[in-house]
Amino acid sequence: MTWRTRSERLLRDPLVHFAVLGALIFALFGNATGADERRIVIDAARVERIAGQYAQNFRRAPSAEELDALIRDDVKEEVYYREALRLGLDRDDEVVRRRMRVKMEAFGDTAEDIAAPDDATLERWLAAHPERFAGEATYAFDQRYLGADATGASAALSELRAGRDFAGAAIPLPAQFEAVGAGEAAELFGDDFAVALDRLPLGAWSGPVTSGLGQHLVRVRVRNAATPPKLSAIRQRVENDWRAAIARARTERAYRALLERYDLVIEKPE
Amino acid sequence: MRRIGKLVLAACATAALTACGGSFGGDEPTKSDAGVKLSEYPERVYWGDAHLHTSNSVDAFGFGVRLGPEEALRFARGEEVTSTLGLKAKLARPLDFLVITDHSDALGGTKALAEAPGLLIRDPVMKRWHDMLNAGPEQSLRATAELIDARAHNKLPPAMTDDATAAKRTRSIWNDHIDTVERYNEPGKFTAMLGFEFTLMDGGKNLHRNVIFRDGKARVKSVVPLGAWGATGSTDALWNYMDAYEKHTGGRVLAIPHNSNLSNGLMFEMTQPGGGAMTAAYARRRSAHEPLVEITQIKGDSEAHPFLSPNDEFAGYGVAGWELGDLAMAEAKTPSMFAGEYVREALKRGLAIEAKTGVNPYKFGVIGSTDAHTALSTADENNYFGKHTGVEPSATRALAPQNLGTRLGRFGWHYLASGYAGVWARGNTRAEIFDAMLRKEVYATTGPRMTVRVFGGWDFKPADMKRNWVRAGYRRGVPMGGSLMPPKRMRGERPSFIVSALKDPIGANLDRVQVVKGWIDKAGATHEKVFDVAWSDPAKRQPTGGKVPAVGDTVDVAHASYTNAIGAPELMTVWSDPEFEPTMKAFYYVRVIEIPTPTWVAFDALRYKLKLPPEVTVKGQERAYTSPIWYDPPK
Repeated sequence: MTWRTRSERLLRDPLVHFAVLGALIFALFGNATGADERRIVIDAARVERIAGQYAQNFRRAPSAEELDALIRDDVKEEVYYREALRLGLDRDDEVVRRRMRVKMEAFGDTAEDIAAPDDATLERWLAAHPERFAGEATYAFDQRYLGADATGASAALSELRAGRDFAGAAIPLPAQFEAVGAGEAAELFGDDFAVALDRLPLGAWSGPVTSGLGQHLVRVRVRNAATPPKLSAIRQRVENDWRAAIARARTERAYRALLERYDLVIEKPE
Repeated sequence: MRRIGKLVLAACATAALTACGGSFGGDEPTKSDAGVKLSEYPERVYWGDAHLHTSNSVDAFGFGVRLGPEEALRFARGEEVTSTLGLKAKLARPLDFLVITDHSDALGGTKALAEAPGLLIRDPVMKRWHDMLNAGPEQSLRATAELIDARAHNKLPPAMTDDATAAKRTRSIWNDHIDTVERYNEPGKFTAMLGFEFTLMDGGKNLHRNVIFRDGKARVKSVVPLGAWGATGSTDALWNYMDAYEKHTGGRVLAIPHNSNLSNGLMFEMTQPGGGAMTAAYARRRSAHEPLVEITQIKGDSEAHPFLSPNDEFAGYGVAGWELGDLAMAEAKTPSMFAGEYVREALKRGLAIEAKTGVNPYKFGVIGSTDAHTALSTADENNYFGKHTGVEPSATRALAPQNLGTRLGRFGWHYLASGYAGVWARGNTRAEIFDAMLRKEVYATTGPRMTVRVFGGWDFKPADMKRNWVRAGYRRGVPMGGSLMPPKRMRGERPSFIVSALKDPIGANLDRVQVVKGWIDKAGATHEKVFDVAWSDPAKRQPTGGKVPAVGDTVDVAHASYTNAIGAPELMTVWSDPEFEPTMKAFYYVRVIEIPTPTWVAFDALRYKLKLPPEVTVKGQERAYTSPIWYDPPK
């Protein structure tokens, strides 16, 4: 681990932040009558930073006028910020308290800080949580829509089985589907229809089949049963899941470490 | 001209459709977009939410949400997450895409409290303090004391006062956010797009915009979200930012205004912002940057208001509470403000401004989205997770006063469990979804996933519905969001529309399908009319006085249930405008109305055994609104 990566880790260390944050606030209030409290200095570095942020967003340096406006706004923000601290808004305000908590949590490891896992790690994760990555059956099928009820279903079925076409009632869904997963079929037609795709005969028109939209004639052409997914096919998804779990665990650990430094007394009303 | 018109349309239909939306330079290679098979033309609708907040939003965490972008993405794509208040939550039907739009002002400007800690570790003194802090309580206290002492004597290490390093710190949330979104973008399966909310306010008046990028990490990391405060607090600043982004990166970005209903008349003004006649330059800029408007969401519906549309018995959906004032209730609303707030009127105003300046600033399409601040994108009545964590499911939320900037007259039940965006795209990728938004081939629903198509042309006949009507629609006409060019010589043609609506497969039947027409006459006055064009049980429901009678009502409020004994699962027709006047500019959009169903409040009443006062809305007719098709007379 290089010093730099180590220091970037440390940048996020909650303890450092917590202590320094507390120190700063303490210093501000502890020193409330100091002359510095009534002095706002927008130094060259700050102006550069303000101009730099503008340039980043607008791809050009601000004009003198624009820069003046930005500086005025920065001053306004500083004034309000200091007055807010003076009024104790950071202590009384639920929003600020929660914001500070969220910031502290964010200082801990986020999912983005975790080093890339190797395949073996992810294979183990996949094996340990098969239910989260279960594959699903896929289908290729044709459908013709009959409408709300199945009137004329048998005549239409005969036409289709004889190899003649029957367009059915027009709906804004395709007549032909390829490689549709069970979940997507359920989203488009409702659960009953998706279930039916598993029991209809292969390669032949049948029906009427009930969907959430009405009645259909259906020909299932291809049915591929669900297979356990290979890591290579869903690597990103497994990694996401693994990362989220590691980040949760680390955040919890960091909180526990802080909590241990307190004596906790909870007095519930009788 | 007619021939040329046809050729252009054909080119749009076959050559990627993107040709109609503008040119897109230098596609950024995103992971495996190339592996996604695109259909010849959009065959299915993709569902998504283009407006969602997480714990990175200043107000969302203020209300207590603990879920961040990661949980938001997991939930939207169908995985189970635990809500802030501890409920397990999983979408029965995942979304196809999600744009997380946290407030830029929270991401960018956290200032001293946040910045100070991030600076420390390059400095050896800081390093020592860090080690002491980790060496146990006693050492930790000593380090803290040293720190305080150093601060008091102005001897803090320079790293702590180095603004340049601080600026780096403010980027980190955004960069982490980008990385997270990137990890969840799964072309062909689930599209995670980058964006933010530009929370522009004029006092309490809502002028918010969502900003959505077409591109991925490589381009978007070159900017940070633009704050809407102070010097950059104007649409002009936003559009400059967007121009600079596009110019510098070769990427694309668009902006979507929302909650015009809370702008107290400022969202769709007849004048320039701040007054004065609107210029063609402003109008052109606005329509170029803002191709869409979010017409419906949790904080109310902005399609039409009864004050503006007294003859429309379906106007006024989701206006209760929201019509009282601006977002913050800083200023009460007066009726004269409605015209600058509601989308139908804005579309009409666009025609009027175009008549004066030659450019229509309000030639926009529409989407719905949630604007939820819970990181949970829910828009169904039976799964409504609330506007923010303070009103996640509980026995008290329906009647709770909502001081989301208001203490007057707004209550939990005024929130709508709304809405979603339907996008007609050729595949589920960032580029396809974004391009569909640019060409306005999108529509809004208040939650139900109704499938709605409309094509406008000059020669559509009922026989077209028999076969391949979608292909015919693209070949001989324009889809929603398009402009209908007149034939070279008018020989008595009328615009005709193929209109098709299909119910949500697990939802309610449809009551009717309507075409809403707006136009401008020779004197410059604008008009509107709502046509019923298809409805259920037409034999029994004969129009009287030009209106189709109400569909009926099966809602059982006590059980929060309804039946599909009334209405129809699908409605389709070819409709041509009986009042067409070839010299007048016009627009046409489709509104699909469901049969009455119970609202989320009725589900809450059942769940928590509530007694509700009579003014509470416990049932309603949910709906879909398409982007318009515009007609321009021959010059």
